[in-house]
Amino acid sequence: MIYILFSILLGGAILTFLANKISGLLRDTFFLLTMLGATLIFYTQLHIGGLVNFSIGSFNLEWGVNSFSWYFSLIVLGLGTLAAFYALSYMKGKENLGFFYFSFLISILSMLGIVMSHDLISFFIFWEMMTWSSYFMVIYSGKNVQKNGINYILFSAFGAYAMLTAIALVYANIHSLSIVEMISNYGQFSPALQTWIPILFLMAFSVKAAMMPLHVWAPGAYSDSPMAYTSVFSGALSKMGIYGMILIFVTMISHLPDDTWFREVFAWLGAITAIMGTLWAIAQDDARKLLAYSSVAQLGYIITGVAIGTDLAMLSALFLAALHALFKGTLFMAVGAVERQTGTVKFSEVTGLIRKMPWTFIASLLAIIALAGIPPLGGFVGKWMLYESLINSNHYILVIAIFFASTSAFLYCYKFLFGFFLGQEEKEWAHVKEAPALMVVPMLLMAGFLVILGTFPGILLKPADTAMQTLGFAPTEGHLWSMSVLFNAWGDQVLLRPLVYAIAGIFLFFLIILTVKGWKNTRYVTTKDISSSGEVPLEHENLTFSVNFYQPFLRAVGPVMKHRMITWYREFGAGMETIFDFTRRIYTGNGQTYAIYVMVFLVIILLLQNTIFG
Amino acid sequence: MVGSPVLFIAIPLLAAFLIPLLGFVWKESVRILPGLVLLYLLYLSLTLMEQVVHTGTIVEVIAGWAPPWGINLVFSPLTGLLTTLMILMGFIIWIYSYRFKNIDFQEAVKYFILLLMLITGSVGIVLTGDIFNQFVFIEITSISAYALTAFYKGRDSAEASFKYLMIGSLSSMFLLLAIALIYSQLGTLNMADIAAKAHLMKPEFKILALIFFITGLGIEAEIFPLNGWAPDAYAQAPGPIGAAFSGIVVKAGVYAMIRVMFTLFDVAGTHQFLIVIGIITLIIAEMSAVRQEHLKRMLAYSSIGQMGLVIVAFGIGTEEGVFAALFLMLNHAIIKSLLFLSGSYLVYHSTGKYISEVDGIARNLPITSFLFALGSIAIVGMPPFAGFWSKWSMLTAAAHSNLILIIGLVLSVSLIELVYYFRVLNRIYFFPKKKEVVVKKPTINALLAMGLLGLLILIIGFYPDSVTGYLHAASQSLLDKGKYIHDVLSTGQLLLP
Repeated sequence: MIYILFSILLGGAILTFLANKISGLLRDTFFLLTMLGATLIFYTQLHIGGLVNFSIGSFNLEWGVNSFSWYFSLIVLGLGTLAAFYALSYMKGKENLGFFYFSFLISILSMLGIVMSHDLISFFIFWEMMTWSSYFMVIYSGKNVQKNGINYILFSAFGAYAMLTAIALVYANIHSLSIVEMISNYGQFSPALQTWIPILFLMAFSVKAAMMPLHVWAPGAYSDSPMAYTSVFSGALSKMGIYGMILIFVTMISHLPDDTWFREVFAWLGAITAIMGTLWAIAQDDARKLLAYSSVAQLGYIITGVAIGTDLAMLSALFLAALHALFKGTLFMAVGAVERQTGTVKFSEVTGLIRKMPWTFIASLLAIIALAGIPPLGGFVGKWMLYESLINSNHYILVIAIFFASTSAFLYCYKFLFGFFLGQEEKEWAHVKEAPALMVVPMLLMAGFLVILGTFPGILLKPADTAMQTLGFAPTEGHLWSMSVLFNAWGDQVLLRPLVYAIAGIFLFFLIILTVKGWKNTRYVTTKDISSSGEVPLEHENLTFSVNFYQPFLRAVGPVMKHRMITWYREFGAGMETIFDFTRRIYTGNGQTYAIYVMVFLVIILLLQNTIFG
Repeated sequence: MVGSPVLFIAIPLLAAFLIPLLGFVWKESVRILPGLVLLYLLYLSLTLMEQVVHTGTIVEVIAGWAPPWGINLVFSPLTGLLTTLMILMGFIIWIYSYRFKNIDFQEAVKYFILLLMLITGSVGIVLTGDIFNQFVFIEITSISAYALTAFYKGRDSAEASFKYLMIGSLSSMFLLLAIALIYSQLGTLNMADIAAKAHLMKPEFKILALIFFITGLGIEAEIFPLNGWAPDAYAQAPGPIGAAFSGIVVKAGVYAMIRVMFTLFDVAGTHQFLIVIGIITLIIAEMSAVRQEHLKRMLAYSSIGQMGLVIVAFGIGTEEGVFAALFLMLNHAIIKSLLFLSGSYLVYHSTGKYISEVDGIARNLPITSFLFALGSIAIVGMPPFAGFWSKWSMLTAAAHSNLILIIGLVLSVSLIELVYYFRVLNRIYFFPKKKEVVVKKPTINALLAMGLLGLLILIIGFYPDSVTGYLHAASQSLLDKGKYIHDVLSTGQLLLP
């Protein structure tokens, strides 16, 4: 069945690409059928534990599904299918659609391949396929290709080569490429290898999960891809990094004699990523960039959870991973909807869309609530588990860091909602209409699922728990959670019901008060309608409230944000280019020089002959 | 037996002489004949290859003189593999350049004669079992290569050709010196015989001869710093000849060097030397490639870098290492030829061949651009294309020999390679097209040739087993020196009166 699944996706991708030449309708049909067919086969035909193997190039390749990979395929296929519907409408009328759909399907295929690979070589092949198919998406728009595109491919290749080195080392030592055998033989490696193999693997996975200091590619790549794909990019593709990290941490790091410092380092890197990502997200005026930085930050939490590695931390990481796919998928789609309807994604340009795009607003609102971790939506459950696991394992400073990041996240959440949807309505945007149903429905579906998850997190926690049992954790069902937050005690540490009711009550109270009080006094104004200080704004002056939003806050955190990783990389790159330019000049173009080189070479070798050929 | 190895030399030489004569009778025959010859040789080499892998090396004795005295041709799995590869490349280049110089009959005659001589010479270098005979073939190859470099008769191409000639004659000088040294010591020119008697040589003479060989053959194999001529020659020669240089001529040079180092002498330290010199070549060439402004020069530096990688892989010295090296050679021949062939259409009408002139050309040349992209992605070693498997076998070979540092270096250099190839790809696909650039649509036969190469990349990429069997046989045959000596010299015993 795995063969059929992969052939459907590969064949579908090629057919879609070819159909583009014939007619748009045919192409869309192929694309949708492929995606739906793959999802259908996955959920109905694939058995957990099923395994196929065959050999190629004298390597034995093995593909199969276990509960752990099933959990991640759930994210990929779920988000992928919804994004596919969304893409049909979002991409309508754009150029090179065959190319887009082809890359879309190939990247879905490669992500499924990654989680289903049971041997390192197919893991790597799928990993690279994922890289180049997503690279096609990054450069699809044709903007900044030399900068963001090259950044992305360079960092990805760096990670991939680190992984390739690790794989070659493993292969040289155990003469097998099976992941299971690598894990079972890990104990027999020399101490140096025991440290280096996980580090090399983690380098590859941190690049994809956009962890500091390897995150530099992420903001550009996320914001330059078409939004229909970015939801998958940030929601599912970055999770492949998390998938690999969990594998490495569970199977390798925990067997290291001194794994504590290793975990601490990664947990802190995750926390720093979260803080810095959040701060940079707050400073953005471009909604895509804001969400991109926010993605970096959110993955920081997940990395911290993975690195801590207790039962609860791992559970929260898995839960947050799926949740992040849901809410970030929704938000990127919402930005895409705004982009398509208004033509801009800058907060300082577009405001007051709430009446024009109410459904997009509701979806964004729910996703934002989940992202910020406000009860009663799913995000709260995940964040709560993370805090609890950090406190239980005595990481108090880390809790403060994560809490700081998570609280600061409110700022950009608010900026996102307020910037796009609230505020004065401008004449300029009077013509804007709600996005087509194909775009709105996937968003609403995911947002609805977030609401359900808030009340019944068990829907996701159960498969996450099964996944963890595959990795060798004890079943957490009995002692960590039970089915419903609202009707049961959450965990055994805190009673949630009063809290949830209290928050709901306060919310309702203020809602009623404000509505009643403001009903009569509401006056609709435009940005130019300023009656303070007698100052008359100029015609072209941008008076949207989003200009210099949070300036005092940013000034306060300015010193932290002064040093950017990317400047270091840029300087490094510029230095390298200078060296390259110098090297190029070795080849002077002068025949005499070349003849001299030959003679010098000969003389050097003659002089050193005893050293070289001794 | 279907045919004998001697046909690989005799038939194309004969054809080369016949071309101008037949041209008087029927002009089109000038173009058709080389193709027919190469097609037949391709068939011959494939059948012989199949036979050799199963039944063992064929040693062909010329004119009845037994091996230690006469000239012999050795068709072993290794030489057979390289011969097949060269003939295949030659055939594809013939398809590509079938309409080359369409108008000018005289030019076409010259072109096809020289191309055939180039292929014959390279095949001869690989097949011969006699060191002086090898020198002669190297000269044949070089002289046709000089002429082909200067084919366009421009100022730049004449200059490039002259540089090539100058360095090439240094190469011949050193080779002759080395051969003379060996002959003075051992009194034999047969490679197997030299290998068998190498221990009789005085060590200092042996090392001196080896150094002269390294210098002479290193020029042909384009190792740093002996490769100054290469970028100019690649850039100034016609497009298909650039492909022939990287797909055929360099391969012969590397083969000759490796044969000398692996079979002729057993001097300690050669493997380390190969690794060091290969790494230096690789790094310098790839670093120089990044800032190139000319497309073909960039490809030339990349080609040099790849040959450095091949030499490193040979330097690992284990069977896996040699396997990786041969795999790299095979893939490099296919992929780099594709890049040269498609690349020369991307900058067809341009005089400067600047990279900036390919901006946005994908809209006008979709298929050519696609094939160029396929080649670029394959050559940087992205799976699931051909380049990945060779890079992978190289890495595992290095890991097996505990050469971790080499893995690190090779992969860092690959990052550099990635940058400059993707920069060009981005230009082709995503930059606005320059108005003044005139686009030349590829002819049908050029498309066919490029498509064949692209197909090969995909076949090897998705089904590497199609070639690995031959590569394993070839690598075993290179490392089994005793068998080589035995095979060659025992044939002689049989024929002795």
